[in-house]
Order: sequence, then structure tokens, then C-alpha cells
Amino acid sequence: MPAFPAPSASGLSRRTLLRGGLAGAGLLTLAACRSAADTATAPAGDAASPRRGGVLTVGAGVDFTPALLFAQSANTLVQRLVFNTLTRYDDRLQPQPELATSWQVSPDGTSVTLKLRDDVLFHSGRRFTADDVVFAVKNLQNPVRSAQLRSTAAAVTDFRKNGDFELTLTLAHPVSNIFDLFEFMIIPDSASVEEAFAGTKLIGTGPYTFTDRKPGSSITFARNEKYWNPGRPYLDGVEIRIVPQAESLLSSLKTGQTHLSYSIRGKDVATLKTDPQFRITSYDTGAGAYYIGANVTGEHVSDKRVRQAIAWAVDRDRLVQQALGGYGTVSSTPWPKSSPAYSEASAGRYRHDPEKARQLLKEAGLTGITLPFAHSNDPGNTAIAQILQYDLKQVGIETVLQPTDSPTMQKQLISQTMPALWTLSHGFAQLHPATLAVSAYPFNEAKNSSHFSSPAYTEIVQKAWKRPDSDSPEAKALYQQITDVLLDEQFVIDLAIAGLTEVAGSKVRGATLNKFGYLNLDDAYLTA
Amino acid sequence: MRTFLLKRLPSGLLVLLLASFLVFLILRLIPGDPATTLAGPDAGPQAVAAIRAQLGLDEPLVGQYLTWIGNLLSGDLGPSYAIGGQVSDLIGNGIAATVQLTLGALLLVVLLALPLGVLGATARRRPVAAAVHAFTTAVLAVPPFVTGVLLVLLFAVTLGLLPAGGHESFLDAPDLALQYLLMPAVCLALPSAAVLARYLKDGIERALAEDYVRTATAVGVSRRRIVWLHALPNALPSAVTVLGLQVGHLVAGAVLVERIFAWPGLGQLIEQGVIRRDYPVVQDLLLLIVAVYVAVQLLTDLAYAWLDPRIRWE
Repeated sequence: MPAFPAPSASGLSRRTLLRGGLAGAGLLTLAACRSAADTATAPAGDAASPRRGGVLTVGAGVDFTPALLFAQSANTLVQRLVFNTLTRYDDRLQPQPELATSWQVSPDGTSVTLKLRDDVLFHSGRRFTADDVVFAVKNLQNPVRSAQLRSTAAAVTDFRKNGDFELTLTLAHPVSNIFDLFEFMIIPDSASVEEAFAGTKLIGTGPYTFTDRKPGSSITFARNEKYWNPGRPYLDGVEIRIVPQAESLLSSLKTGQTHLSYSIRGKDVATLKTDPQFRITSYDTGAGAYYIGANVTGEHVSDKRVRQAIAWAVDRDRLVQQALGGYGTVSSTPWPKSSPAYSEASAGRYRHDPEKARQLLKEAGLTGITLPFAHSNDPGNTAIAQILQYDLKQVGIETVLQPTDSPTMQKQLISQTMPALWTLSHGFAQLHPATLAVSAYPFNEAKNSSHFSSPAYTEIVQKAWKRPDSDSPEAKALYQQITDVLLDEQFVIDLAIAGLTEVAGSKVRGATLNKFGYLNLDDAYLTA
Repeated sequence: MRTFLLKRLPSGLLVLLLASFLVFLILRLIPGDPATTLAGPDAGPQAVAAIRAQLGLDEPLVGQYLTWIGNLLSGDLGPSYAIGGQVSDLIGNGIAATVQLTLGALLLVVLLALPLGVLGATARRRPVAAAVHAFTTAVLAVPPFVTGVLLVLLFAVTLGLLPAGGHESFLDAPDLALQYLLMPAVCLALPSAAVLARYLKDGIERALAEDYVRTATAVGVSRRRIVWLHALPNALPSAVTVLGLQVGHLVAGAVLVERIFAWPGLGQLIEQGVIRRDYPVVQDLLLLIVAVYVAVQLLTDLAYAWLDPRIRWE
């Protein structure tokens, strides 16, 4: 029989007291701790005047991919924090000085002379000179860098230095989008470029120095005390926090753990619209455009009347409202309103007209066709595909949805093995129009995912690209011709221009993006 | 023992070799490849070809496999293609974060299951027992991604007590690290705690029905003392077995919880590796998991052999 100890005579034992004491001490310790829920620090001061100090936290849905440092990708927040570009566009697409103080394009458009700042230091302490611009252009000419503007960089055939701070670039032919390149091309430190490409060391001339990266978690930056822009930046540092789950990212913003994000889904942004804690800014430059791609060698879709029927069948308004939360602009063309190629008549060419779609199918001698339809398998793109599937069914086009993961889709796009239809988004329409047609693969006149080729299209694109100017009436007439080909051929059926939307906490001021989505925090600060 | 070890070792090495073949081949059978992923959606075939050549993916598969194995044997896990940095650093950091989360959850499983199990078995009031039963049923029924979102809504968004997600090292800032850990650990621990609590409850109820308990009650020992000092210790062995099995569930569940709370553990790493077709990260990580299983199996066999000499001579 087990021995049973006698029960305690006292009602409140020492053990009970000890337990209570430990629990109380634990609670007091937690209460006295810093709170991770409000680690976002801000200096004291009023909202009207910029204040120095504080660490800004930016929430990103995807992690930084070092190998895409020199390309436009899903996360381009890092580029303009650590690096500078030669020029930057204003709202009217006019270049403004950055590392280049002035520029002169030769009358025939075959050379550009740049005058450079002479007071710029890399984070390593080395002085920035014309050699760094030469290196940056050659860096983008390297196909391994996968730069979308490689064809523009490749048009630079020679470099002529005039001292350390003046440089003439010789071009193979006039290039209308040369300033797109100057806005796109970050100036890396030649000594550490391979380490930058591997994500271990980022050295540039930008407002913040790279301090640490925890893959999948965060990237941190500190103020560059020797930045060439006097008094800038205001912030002590920046942290980019990676939050892949859309709901968690939204919660992170609502709790103040994250100050700023460009990765909030449209339907989530809609829920924050009336909340005074947030300021929502839509960039009309567009993050890209949603489209249906058509493989013109595929059965049925080889007939352009079928592709036009699809364009008439889609209810773009419903798509923008239901799938994008209203954050997008209905459009039949790829151009955002800020583009010199934009025209309201062209953007509104295809409206929701199922009857017209049925008529075109009838003219093509087709009724009740079935087409394979690939889409990215993430929830947002799946919702878009389902909406499109419904619309096409209403006019007699059955589609078989093919959810595909991103790497597989990219491989199919590049290897031109897409099915009859697919839906995705494309970029590069927010710049000079020639850039879209020579740099964005869906539109590339030489080779594209749709297998579309036409001597007329090639001729117009090449003419637009090889012009010495980009804004003259002649240039605009060429852009309209490109638009007309796109609207007629419909190998890329544009649906809506996606708005790049900034959601900022009420304390954040002065954050901006360039045309490539590079985050510029030179003038950013946190109010009290 | 040495002979026994020499007999077992070749089979372990063979498993590793076969696993390396499988891991290597399966990754290459998945559509998409690192070069197209790295090239981005606007890249042309020339950029893809250049990247493929740089990564050595244009080499014959046998050559790629031998290079990988050769580097592994020399202790060089190499650089990651897409995530960036050295694979050894990525895996090391991932292991540290996942172990931190799993251990935190394991501690909570014990802390939650113990009182719940005891309360469920000993509550004299029917509503209390029913409440314990309802609670354990509910946390078993609700999937962790729902629990996670609810926890974030309550403790981060509404009450503002805890961060919505993220991670901090215990070495750098233990107070912040604890706050970051709390919600993911609770989310991960709740289903396992419910399972363990139910086992404990049944075990305690069986122990309380034993004769010695009736005797103890008859001689005036308090019910609390009977429960905590006699019934609970008797129920613990089977509960500990269940707890051991739950560790596997915790490690597997961590993959999902890491995503909800932006926790940079092994689950996130392998997910990112697969999504970006980062072959070195996925290959090394999967082979490491197989190696751990092989090592554990080998140690278990050795332990059996050490405990039972007959096995050595079979």
C-alpha cells in the first residue's frame, strides 16, 4: 500500500505563495518589457515639418531576390534605397537630375552627353565617376543580369569620357527611350557587384546603407551619413519586413507594426479606404496591366475574329470591381493615362458586348468552342480567371482552367509553349511606349509568347524606338499606329490597368515610387 | 558492437544515395526551372540561356549530380540561386527558428494539457467538465490557419498586445523574441494540447477508479493530493508516449504556422525554395532531412543492440 503524506494543516502553503509570487513577477516582467507590437519608433514633432529620426517599416509580400537586382521584379523596394539612378522622371515623364546634373542629346539622336555630380561617394568611401556609369551600362548589357531594358543598353556602342564627371554615350541608332534606361539603371559599385548579385553585400551611392538581411524575414538599412543630397535622408533607418500571407500583412499594417506597404491586395485596400489611420495613394503610372494572352497558332484563336470576340465578351468593369477591389482602370490598351500613347477612344474600344462577341464567332463559323485557359495558381489570379471563364461561357466559349505555378508559367511564356489562352499581368507600359514593344516579352515584335509576328508591327515598333524624340506629333502618331495594331490583332487582350497602391500609416510622409516601382525615401519622415 | 555497426552502416549509406538520386531527379521533373524563374516574366530566351549557362544547368544531368554530391562531400553546400546567400547559412537560420517555435509550442502543450486533463477528469461540476470537453473539441476541429487569424485579430489588431507576425532572435532581444513567439506557439500548440489533455483525462479517470485510490480516500487523504501525487503520475507514461508522437505533428504543423506569422523557419525556406526552383536549397534541405532520419534509425538500432545482445548476433 502506498504511503500517503498527511494533508497540510495550513490553508496557504509556502508553495502556493511561491507560485503566486512567480506568476506575479512574470506578469510584471512582461509588462515592463518593450512591446514588439509598437516597435515602430518615431521622433517627436508635428506633421507639417519634416523631422529627423525614426525607423520606417515597410511591409512586402515577397522577399527580395538578389539575382533580380538589375531587373524589374515583384520586389523593387531595395533598389533606390541603396542605389541612385542617373535621372528620374517627373509626373509628366520629363527627366529630372539625379546623379546626372544635365544632359545633351545630339541633333541626330546618336549620342548623349551626360554631366555628372562630382560630390558623390559610394558607401565604401570611393568617389563616383564616369567610369561607374560605363560599368553600369555594360552590366546591363550582360544577359545574365536579365535586365528588361537590355536592348536599350545594348544600343550604347561606345563611351567617351571627358574628365571624371562628363561622359558621352554613342548609340547605334537614335533611341527614343534612352531616359527610361537612365531611370531604370541603378549605379552599382563595380568592386562588389557580384556580392550584390548574390545578396550578401549591397554598396551604392543611395540614401541608405545596407546593414542586414534575414532571408524570408527582413532587410534593414541605416542612414547614409555622407549622402550627397544635403540634410537627407531624414530617417535613421528602414526595415523591409517580409510578410507573405496577405491577411497577416493587412493585420501588420492595422497594428502599426508596419508603416507602409505597396503589397496590399485591392480588395483589402477597399476595406481601409474610410479608416483615418491610413492614407491611400494610387499611382496612375500603373504597376502593370491585366491581360488575356492568345496563342495565335492555337486552334480557333488563330482567327483574329475569335480574339476580338473574347475582347468584347469580357466585362472589365466587373473584373475591376470584384477582383481588384475597384483599384484599377478598365482599358482595352496597355497604356496608363500618363503615357504619351494613351487615348481615351482607344482605351474604351472594347466594352462588354456579348451580342457583338457572338456575332463575331458566328462570322468565324464557330459555335460552342472549348479552349484551354492557363492562369497563375495564386488566389488573386484564380479569381480573375474564374470571372473571365464565366464571361466567355456567356458567349459560347467554354474554357478549361489550367492553374499553373509561377515558375512553370514563366518557362511556358519564354519557351512559347502557352496554351490557346492565358491570363497574366504585364509591365512596362508606364514608360515611353517603345519600351513596351521592345522590352516586355508579351509585346516583343521580334519574338513573343503569342507567336504573333507581322512586318507592319515590326516596322512601326522599330520606327518608334529609333526616333531621336519621344514626344513629337510624329512620335505620337507612331504610338497610335502601335495601339491600332494591338487593338486589331488582339494577341494581347488588355483588360485593366492595375493601379500601384500605396497604403501608408498616418505617421508616414514623403515616400514616393519611381516609374519602375523603386521606393524613394530621400524625403520620407515619420511624424509624432 | 563494431561489427553490428559495420553491418548497418552500408544500408544507411545506400538509403542516402538513393534519396540523393530521387531528390535530384524529382526537382528536375517539376515543370519550370531556376533560369526562367530568375530571368523574370519579361525576359527573352537569350537571357534565360545565359543564366542557365552561368548556373551550370546546361551541363548534362550526370555532371550536375556529381558536382552537387562532390561539393556536399567536401562540406560546401554552395550558394542559393534565388533566395541569396549561402545555403548552409539559410538552413542554419531556418533550423534555429523552427526549433525555437517547436520548443515553445511543446512547452505550451504541456502547460495547457496538464491542467485541462486534470480538470476534465476531476471536475465535480458537470458544466466544468463539459466546458473542458467543448474546448478540446473546438481546438481540435478548428484548423491552425483559422486559429492563427483569430489570434491575430484579437491580440494584435483589437487589443494591440502582441505583434501580428515576425521574428526576433532570443540572443538579440529576448523580451521581443518572447512576444513574437507567443501567438505562433499557441496556434501550433493548441491541437496537440487538446489531444494530450484527452489522453491525460482518460488516464487519470482510470487511475481514480483503482482500489488504492478508494483506500486512500478512506484513510482521509485529500482529493487534491490523490489526484496530483498518485493518479496523475500513473497517467503520465502513456501521455508522454503521446507527447512524443505529437512532436512530429508540431514540426509538420510549423510549416503552415510559419507562413501565417511570417516566421522564417524551415517551412518557409522549403516553400520559397520550391516556388523559386532554388535547387541547391531544396536538394540540400531534403537530403538533410533524410540524413537525420537515417541517423536516428541507426542510433535506435544501436540502442536496441546495446540493450539486447541477442540482436547483435542475429
